[in-house]
Amino acid sequence: MIGFIVLAVVMLAGAVGVVTLRQPVHAALSLVVTLLALAVTYVTLQAHFLAVIQVIVYAGAIMVLFLFVIMLLNVEGQAPPPHLRWLPPLAFATALLVAAGIAVTAFVDRAPLPAAARVSALQGGSAEQVGTLLFSHYVLAFQLVGVLLLAGIVGAVSLAQRGSRGDASGARSEGASDTRELSHG
Amino acid sequence: MVPTPYYVALSALLLTIGAMGVLTRRSAIMVFLSVELMLNAANLAIVAYARQWSATGVEQALSGQAAVFIILAIAAAEVAVGLGILVAIFRNRVSTDVDELSEVRS
Repeated sequence: MIGFIVLAVVMLAGAVGVVTLRQPVHAALSLVVTLLALAVTYVTLQAHFLAVIQVIVYAGAIMVLFLFVIMLLNVEGQAPPPHLRWLPPLAFATALLVAAGIAVTAFVDRAPLPAAARVSALQGGSAEQVGTLLFSHYVLAFQLVGVLLLAGIVGAVSLAQRGSRGDASGARSEGASDTRELSHG
Repeated sequence: MVPTPYYVALSALLLTIGAMGVLTRRSAIMVFLSVELMLNAANLAIVAYARQWSATGVEQALSGQAAVFIILAIAAAEVAVGLGILVAIFRNRVSTDVDELSEVRS
């Protein structure tokens, strides 16, 4: 329980950093903190393979792509415009209300769930277990995701190459990152 | 063992913090980062429920983890296309402010 509380605090601190930090690079690094804490939480939930994939794909490949684009575009943090000053507190209040609703529902309406006494059925969520299920029961979804990734790569490269011809180096390196994601995912 | 509702409550908090970021940030990249946060919050809930249902058999238990694996792959494709669109927008008009990107509105 103590470990869960520590993880939750780290995760929520990172998440609040994502939405409040002004500099996009700081916000992206704050999201990395959240994603790594999430990977540790997956380990505590008997999903070891997913934890490894989370670190490699999300905290590795996807966040590298994000930082790459942030530094390529050189986006600066800006203050909110004056006519939208009321929006952040209202959004915060709404978010808190929705979170409280979901949490109360999760705690109150727990009747249809079976007892989680035998966690051994997960067998640690190893790559062998998840892979066997993916390649037997969910092989169609797996294939479709492969096609989707291919379409994503082609789309990203064509989007990045449209426009000016002189700046083809950015498009090339982005395509390289995509290929890395495919081999990891 | 921490009960599942605690994980679901944490997931709800992460999801709503991400939704708050989508609503309040103006840079398209920051909106995108917040969407990633929301995706991960959903993944956390799915993995927590996968452990909760593990008493009913291996296939049901690991189905949740397989679903999260597929969501991870879809998120990778989504990030590639989304950042490609962002780079294209930034090339045409040196700004990624979502308030100024309103051509679709007639």
